[in-house]
Amino acid sequence: MSSAITDTFTADHHRCDQLLAAAERQLAAGDCPGTGEATAGLAGALEHHFTLEEETLFPELAQVFRVAENPIEVMVGEHAQMRALLADLHEAVAARDQAAALGTLETLHFLIQQHNYKEEGILYPMADGALPARGAAIATRLTED
Amino acid sequence: MLNTAGLRLDQAPPITVPFAFFLAAPPFAVAAGLWLTWAGDAALASRWTPQTLALTHLIALGFLTQILCGALLQLLPVLAGAPVPRVIAVGRTAQALLTTGTVLLCAGLAQGSGVPLTGGALGVAAGLALLGATVALALTRSRGVADTRLAMALGLSALAITVALGLVLVAALQGCVHLTGFPDWVDLHLSWSLLGWAGLLIMGVGYQVVPMFHVTPPYPAWLRAAAVPLAAGGLVAGSVLTLTGQGAQANWALGLAGVCFAAFAVTTLDRQRRRDRPILDTTLLHWRSAMVCALAAAVLWLVGGRAETIGVLLLVGVGVGLPSGMLFKIMPFLSWFHLQHRQLAARRFDLRIPHMHGFVPEARARLQFWLHLGALGLLVAATIAPGHGLTRPAGVALAAATGYLGVLLGQCYLRYRAIARRF
Ligand SMILES: [Fe+2]
Ligand SMILES: [Fe+2]
Repeated sequence: MSSAITDTFTADHHRCDQLLAAAERQLAAGDCPGTGEATAGLAGALEHHFTLEEETLFPELAQVFRVAENPIEVMVGEHAQMRALLADLHEAVAARDQAAALGTLETLHFLIQQHNYKEEGILYPMADGALPARGAAIATRLTED
Repeated sequence: MLNTAGLRLDQAPPITVPFAFFLAAPPFAVAAGLWLTWAGDAALASRWTPQTLALTHLIALGFLTQILCGALLQLLPVLAGAPVPRVIAVGRTAQALLTTGTVLLCAGLAQGSGVPLTGGALGVAAGLALLGATVALALTRSRGVADTRLAMALGLSALAITVALGLVLVAALQGCVHLTGFPDWVDLHLSWSLLGWAGLLIMGVGYQVVPMFHVTPPYPAWLRAAAVPLAAGGLVAGSVLTLTGQGAQANWALGLAGVCFAAFAVTTLDRQRRRDRPILDTTLLHWRSAMVCALAAAVLWLVGGRAETIGVLLLVGVGVGLPSGMLFKIMPFLSWFHLQHRQLAARRFDLRIPHMHGFVPEARARLQFWLHLGALGLLVAATIAPGHGLTRPAGVALAAATGYLGVLLGQCYLRYRAIARRF
């Protein structure tokens, strides 16, 4: 069985984890221009990942696999929560409120971790099983641009 | 083919189920501290005094097992994709039995009297059997990471064996059965509880949460494959050897289980040193101190150190410290997560939910860690140099550290409730 989706999307999760850690490092050091850049980089990477899941991977999976509808709904709901936290983070960074930014970043981190755990353990393997012919094509779209 | 029956990702238990377990734990540790203060040096003079037996059970059952039960009910749906059937009824009933059973059992152990001892032991056994069987049932339907599921299954089996051995010991104390080599049976009971029930569960959960919490490299595959089965094998071999009267060899088999946990501790410290998240938070400090305590206990065991010191390092250093550090993250995150869902359901986006540090402020958690470390240091000193009047201050320090833990966790819950009421 192909594992192209599980492998590439999991690798992208790890890339986002590292971007979050980098943002935290800048924040903790009180580096202002660095913080803005790092949080923007994190937000961009997460948005790219969410968009591909919501617009390509999840709809294709739901079409062949009706049972995936509930998990997908939960996942998309959590994306919305993460976007809201990213907005809070930008606000705190703009206001130079270090404590609020660090607390928000930590909350985002834990939300992402439990979200990714469910995707990597359940949803991606299901997608690899359900979309054997499409996996490689969807996966390359994650790494391009 | 994929097993998709009943696949749902939103079946976390209501927040009050795990929280009830987490909030009930600190008072038991406070009671242990106050008891030490009242009893003085006699309480730590030997592991065989009635007071020491009561104290160890206040910590092991009242604090540690209480939290592990709540954590299992919470983590199973997340880590193993397995909802626990009838989680509210099972959680409440099991907790009521465990809590009253622990109080009675400790009173019975201290007084050496029959009725509370038997009643308490049966209560604890009934509560843990109910919870263990339900969780085991959920585990059979679970999916996800194989090594963590195996660790949970073996940890639950170790719990069953610990409880069974405990019941045999109570029956022997009451004169219902005669055991040859009573101390060996006690050693088995405590090996299965600390290395089996607590140790295997900590390893299985640690494989997942250590990389998740601080973005560390994953645990090496060989360790994940070998440590838990080897530790369980060591416990089984040690038990068989003990029951066949080969106490000396049994010690080496039990030592194998200890070595596995020591390997886990060293690897954990190394993974956390290589973490990507730069911040040194209180949870990480608690993990470090707990892993150092586990290693110190292993070294002391090898060189034949005092059993009381090893007991303090494992029960308070690991058994109190590690859950405290974990709860400082788990309770704020659950509070935030459940409030988010309430907000979504009520469509009240005008209300702002505080981030995690708003539920347990990091500076206060840090203060709690130093109180814990102070209590631990005094307790270790009191067991190394018995009879020097260190036990009373150690007891006060333990009560203060765990009392403050209870205050912080209680405040987290009150904050959650105050916001939840507004939706
Ligand atoms: Fe996602
Ligand atoms: Fe994802």
